[in-house]
Amino acid sequence: MIACVAVVGQQNNPLFIESFTEGEDELKFHYIVHCSLDVIQEKVSNPKKTGSAMNETFLGLLYPTEDYKVYGYLTNTRVKFLLVTTDQDVRDIDVRNFFRRFHAAYVDAVSNPFHVPGKRIISKAFTERVGAIVKSFGAPTT
Amino acid sequence: MATFLAHYQSIKKSAQRLVVAIADVNDLWPTVKEGFEARVPFRKACLNSKFQNSVILDKLPVEYILTTDSRLRSRTPQEQNAFCFQEPFAMVVLVTCEDLEEYKTILKPRLKEITQNEEREWFIVFVSKAQLANDQAGKLTRKIYNKIEVDFSNKKRERCCKLDMHVADAAFWEDVESKIVECIRFSLDRRVLFYEEEIRNLTENHHPQAGSFVNYFILKESLASMFQMTQLQDDALREYEELEQSYLESVNLSSMKQRKFGGHDHGDDSAALLDSHRKPLSQLVEDDTFREFDFRQYLFACQAELLFFLNRPVDVAARGYSFIISFSRLLSDNEKSLPFSLREVWVLTACMTLIKETEERFSARSMTIEAEKEFHRLQADLYSLARVKLMRLGDLIGYGGNIERTPCNSANLSMLPWPKPNIWPSIPSDAADRISLKGQFSEKRSKPFGITRKPLPLAPTLLLRDANRRRASLSVGNIPEFLESRQSFKESIYGSPAGDNASSLALSPGGVPPAPLRSMSMSANGDLTGSLNSPGAGPSTPIRSVSFGTTAKAGAATNRYDRPMKLPEICAAAEFAIQSMVTDEKLLKGLSSAENFEDFLMELTKAAADSYHQSWRKRHGVVLDGEVAAFYSRHGNYDSAAKLYEKVCAMYSGDGWHALLAEVLPDLAECQKQLEDLAGYLLSCIKLLSLEKGLLEDSERHTVQSEVLWLAHTELKNPVSVDVSTLITFSGRGGSPLKLCEGDPGSLAISVWSGFPGEITLDALSVTLIATFTAEEGVKVVRSAQAPSLKPGKNDVVMVLPPQRAGSYVLGVLTGQLGQLRLRSHTYCMTSALSSKGGSPESDDFLSLERPLRPVLEVSEPRPLVDITCVVSWGLLINEPQWLGLVIRPIDYSLKGSILHLSSGSGLQIEEEQICEIEAAGKLLKGSNQKQFPKDHGNPSSAGENPFIVKGKEKQFLGMKDGKVSLPDSASDQASILWLRVRAVQRMQKNGFLTPSPPSSPLKAYDKDMANGNILEDSTTLSNFSGLLLGQDDKKHGSSRSKDNQTIGVRKLDVKLEYGAALSRTYERTLTVQFLDPLRVVSRVIAKGSDSIIFLQVTLISQLNASITIEDAELVLQPGFVHVNGESGRPFPSSILPLVMAPSSESALLFTARYEMSGKRSEEYSNSVQCELEVGSTVVIKYQIVGDRALGAHSPLTCLKKDSMQEHPLLEFKSFLVLQMPISDPFLAVGMLPLPVDNPCVGEQMILQWRVERITEGTCKPSYTSTDQKLDDVEHLYYEVEADPDHWMLAGRKKGWFFMPQQNGGRVVVSLVCIPLIVGYVQPPCLLLPGVDKTRISNTPAGPHSICILPPPLCSSFCVKK
Repeated sequence: MIACVAVVGQQNNPLFIESFTEGEDELKFHYIVHCSLDVIQEKVSNPKKTGSAMNETFLGLLYPTEDYKVYGYLTNTRVKFLLVTTDQDVRDIDVRNFFRRFHAAYVDAVSNPFHVPGKRIISKAFTERVGAIVKSFGAPTT
Repeated sequence: MATFLAHYQSIKKSAQRLVVAIADVNDLWPTVKEGFEARVPFRKACLNSKFQNSVILDKLPVEYILTTDSRLRSRTPQEQNAFCFQEPFAMVVLVTCEDLEEYKTILKPRLKEITQNEEREWFIVFVSKAQLANDQAGKLTRKIYNKIEVDFSNKKRERCCKLDMHVADAAFWEDVESKIVECIRFSLDRRVLFYEEEIRNLTENHHPQAGSFVNYFILKESLASMFQMTQLQDDALREYEELEQSYLESVNLSSMKQRKFGGHDHGDDSAALLDSHRKPLSQLVEDDTFREFDFRQYLFACQAELLFFLNRPVDVAARGYSFIISFSRLLSDNEKSLPFSLREVWVLTACMTLIKETEERFSARSMTIEAEKEFHRLQADLYSLARVKLMRLGDLIGYGGNIERTPCNSANLSMLPWPKPNIWPSIPSDAADRISLKGQFSEKRSKPFGITRKPLPLAPTLLLRDANRRRASLSVGNIPEFLESRQSFKESIYGSPAGDNASSLALSPGGVPPAPLRSMSMSANGDLTGSLNSPGAGPSTPIRSVSFGTTAKAGAATNRYDRPMKLPEICAAAEFAIQSMVTDEKLLKGLSSAENFEDFLMELTKAAADSYHQSWRKRHGVVLDGEVAAFYSRHGNYDSAAKLYEKVCAMYSGDGWHALLAEVLPDLAECQKQLEDLAGYLLSCIKLLSLEKGLLEDSERHTVQSEVLWLAHTELKNPVSVDVSTLITFSGRGGSPLKLCEGDPGSLAISVWSGFPGEITLDALSVTLIATFTAEEGVKVVRSAQAPSLKPGKNDVVMVLPPQRAGSYVLGVLTGQLGQLRLRSHTYCMTSALSSKGGSPESDDFLSLERPLRPVLEVSEPRPLVDITCVVSWGLLINEPQWLGLVIRPIDYSLKGSILHLSSGSGLQIEEEQICEIEAAGKLLKGSNQKQFPKDHGNPSSAGENPFIVKGKEKQFLGMKDGKVSLPDSASDQASILWLRVRAVQRMQKNGFLTPSPPSSPLKAYDKDMANGNILEDSTTLSNFSGLLLGQDDKKHGSSRSKDNQTIGVRKLDVKLEYGAALSRTYERTLTVQFLDPLRVVSRVIAKGSDSIIFLQVTLISQLNASITIEDAELVLQPGFVHVNGESGRPFPSSILPLVMAPSSESALLFTARYEMSGKRSEEYSNSVQCELEVGSTVVIKYQIVGDRALGAHSPLTCLKKDSMQEHPLLEFKSFLVLQMPISDPFLAVGMLPLPVDNPCVGEQMILQWRVERITEGTCKPSYTSTDQKLDDVEHLYYEVEADPDHWMLAGRKKGWFFMPQQNGGRVVVSLVCIPLIVGYVQPPCLLLPGVDKTRISNTPAGPHSICILPPPLCSSFCVKK
């Protein structure tokens, strides 16, 4: 189950963060996403070590903990997408697929002329679209 | 199987070193032992790895063991196959022989026997004891050795070497070493092949079955041990990895799922992942299979040992962390069969062990920076994991109150499930004290500023429910459980002793009771507490009737059957179960009390934070620093807490994570308040107010604001400067920047967004202006007009701008004063769509950090701002009221509110109180060069229409008072024409000379000029009014007249315009306007009749740009002249009038007159000299003028007003002229007689003679005639000889009388002795007759002439003397 998705800006500031848990404990996902930026920085500064290609946007699993996993995705404009999931067995292809769709939704959202670049995304349409993407996570794609 | 494994392990334990067997045939070993062992360990030994790659080993330790040794002899052949790793890798046969026969008969068969085993690698060392001196013995031993070589060596392999006891031969030992290594290599290769073959045979059915896996394990580990002995640790590691992989594959088989997991032994809670010897192998086996719990730890421990040997502690840590995670999951899967909380305890001890062991073996010197960072990161992860498990254990035991409900802890714990034992542990019999202790929860801590938040969950579910559900006698749907849960829930919410800890355990993550609980609360009737004690409440009534204390005392046996446990009971039971299981002393101590728990937790937290900092994961580290800060804060160490909180806040603030910042900031503020760091406290308050919308309630924000105001006005003793860039932002107004000219004051309107929740009144507000593109320009501070009161949201503030220097300015820093508090804001909002429309603080621009680029103020360089010129500066009608137009042209500058002062120079009259007209100048005037205007205007071709003046614009009437006119707003931005009524005055005396008119100007300067008579213009206008006389004179003066016309009639008008902001600027200028008469008159006598009639032509030249119609003209004659035939003096012919003159055209009138020949003439003649100048004739012209004031002269204003019916009234123009009588013959002729000498010299005396001869009979003087004529016929004339005294010396009478005969031709000669004084051409003395008019004297020659005076001749007397 996807617990949280987030978009983090170039300056590591949160642009969008949405949790999909029932409790009002969104703050803990703020913490998880924020700390994951350390790992993203490590991966970005050491691309050889992590084995990712230079133009690879998918950063893979950032956080292997007992209870949840954090996956990262870095766009060419240094905007980061993060996914927190409580599933222990997640297929890599599903995560990649998710990020690809998430990225497309983000691009559409920031293309809105009323959106100020680098500011929080407050578009309801984007939130709904992300919710739909999260719902369809893991579902077979056509 | 277990015994077999025990045997194997004993073999493995004994076989730690690589063995080389010594077959000592002739008891030589004691002799050569020293030499052999001196080479151990072998250096640069070359062996083959499993994949036949050559590996050069730095050290290869070997152990020499005699074949007769019990260690080798005890092994059975069966063992030698499976456990061949322990067998000697080489055999050295030591022989010696000094007799050939003995060799052939005894030694050779013996050697054959020894070397017949093909499994063994061997070689023979022949020891020669022969002395070098003994040639015979030496030859014999060589012979025997050669024989041995022939018998045992072959071409492929050299198996013999010879040792001379008496010769130190280094080459021999090298040879021996290489042969031993060669043997080892061959043995190793053969045994590897053997093991592989065996393993292949075993694994042919894919996965080794339960029974066969032990064999597989032995083979694999034997192989690994062999590699380990031969220092091929990498290969050994690979074997273990393959073994682990195979094991994992085998345990995943469904058929193997039912095996025993393990973990029930004493001490199993303490992880053995780095201790392979904790348990013997035989104990790892149960039912012929390895227990997974033990065996996986064993396998990892073996790998870790190898890695440590290879000096790879980082790898141990990395693999260890992954192992712990996966093993934890495994423990979780098997949790029901494991002791209570074994998983948590095992993970915690595993982490601690791994940390300790790796840290001991880690040396930063031998690592790269990246590896060091990685190591610290792993350490930190391990510490964090241990910390999480400790918190979970502490929460179980009831120390949850000591765990901060931070996002970090919540994230770590809220997704971590509670332990899931098959049956929840029961309450021990002696747990009464323990339970009562659990009831004493720590005091609930509240956040400052009245901030109340729902506490973050530290667990995914209710412990109360989870624990009771796992009890033997209860199930989820049990009513009493819910009732009890409800009670506990109520206790935890409302009452102590539950308090904070209880709520943390009882509340679900969302703070909402779980669904079954809620449904129960709805269905339950009446007082729930009462129903609990009611005997008939339900099936479990008897059990529930037992009081809590009784239950505690009753012991575990009773509790197994009774009601659900309360939270303290659960905690007590958990504590008992955990403490009875845990063997790790440190952990035991840590769980023994709340204080120890807190200390242990902090120890782990600090260690994790430090390690994260060293691994450059600053966010992880700083977050944990926040946990440490909370600990310090709880214990009153506010100083350390504040420092750490500041780090946390700085990080969150820097990254812009306001939600997290909002959690920490109140704690920091509280610490600062406790430390009385008011400045810091204030800053924290400001930051709290600056947080994003929604993070703080309005009431909380108001509380914070009141705190800020209280501090600023009351508490602070010294001024404090605070950056409020995120709270107060500002921007200039949208649109183009304010444009001012250098030196202009002004007011700048800015918008200020206040993020304060309520209105605040500042003492002062100022903003800095920064000049762009000029480095040297400093920062200018401008202040607001008044102390502003900032409301939440957008405020408009007007700043007072003092005069600025030229440049472009942007807004810099906004500064406000609030009591002792100095607020600074550096945030300038960009002009985006939102801010230009008045964006609110809630808009995105509120936090915009972009630097200002758009200037708000542009101060231009000094330049002309206004220009005032005359519409027409030439050709206005003099002596008549005229419109004078002033073009007031602002040059890109507003003249709003400006005042025009006017004062005229002499000769110009302006009514100081009059109604002026103002109208807009045409569009063409704007931007045109004003200097061109008069030129074009003066061009006759453009006289008909001035392209710069557009008529028909609306006129406005302005009142002028005291010479001041206030310009209307319509004239502030566009060029306007102000029309004034003026009158140039020129007065004429009777004799025709003009005198200056009295000054009408109030200006003192001009008064002074007047007093000094410095007004020159008026005195130069004589020629304009003097109609000159006769033709000859007229021509003579014609050229000078036109020149004089350029300055005649020029009047000065001083204009002074006060304009600009606060009328601080003045524009002063003196305008000159030339006023002219309408006509210039030139007259001449064109004909003279014999009857004394003269024809006088009067030429009229129009001087104005207006059409002049001459309606009437009259010549008024001077005495001595009369009109012909008594006419009225009108021009001839009279029909020429009216005459229309176009601008700048010429016309002429003809008048006739004649001399008056009456008796008056003689009288007139007698006074002619004086009368000519005093009396003259006048040409009086009556005319009309039609013109445009925009072009020049026009009809006088007064006429228009007074006689409105007559559009063009008649004006009068007079021109004076003097008619002179014709001159008759002279009375006397005066001439100087020729010089008596031709060449007069200086000092030479000569007599000059003048002859005076009467030409006309009579006397020169009438008076004389009347008195003396009768006495005689001579006239008494007075003479004078006038000479330059420097040139001439006269001797004789220079003045005197002589008698002149009255008869025609009468002559008198006047003589005088004259002596020239200088050399050169000098004028001779002149004879004057003062009593006779000059005109009556005819001089011969007519003009003066010069005489050449020579130097005096040389004096001979002087020459003689010389």
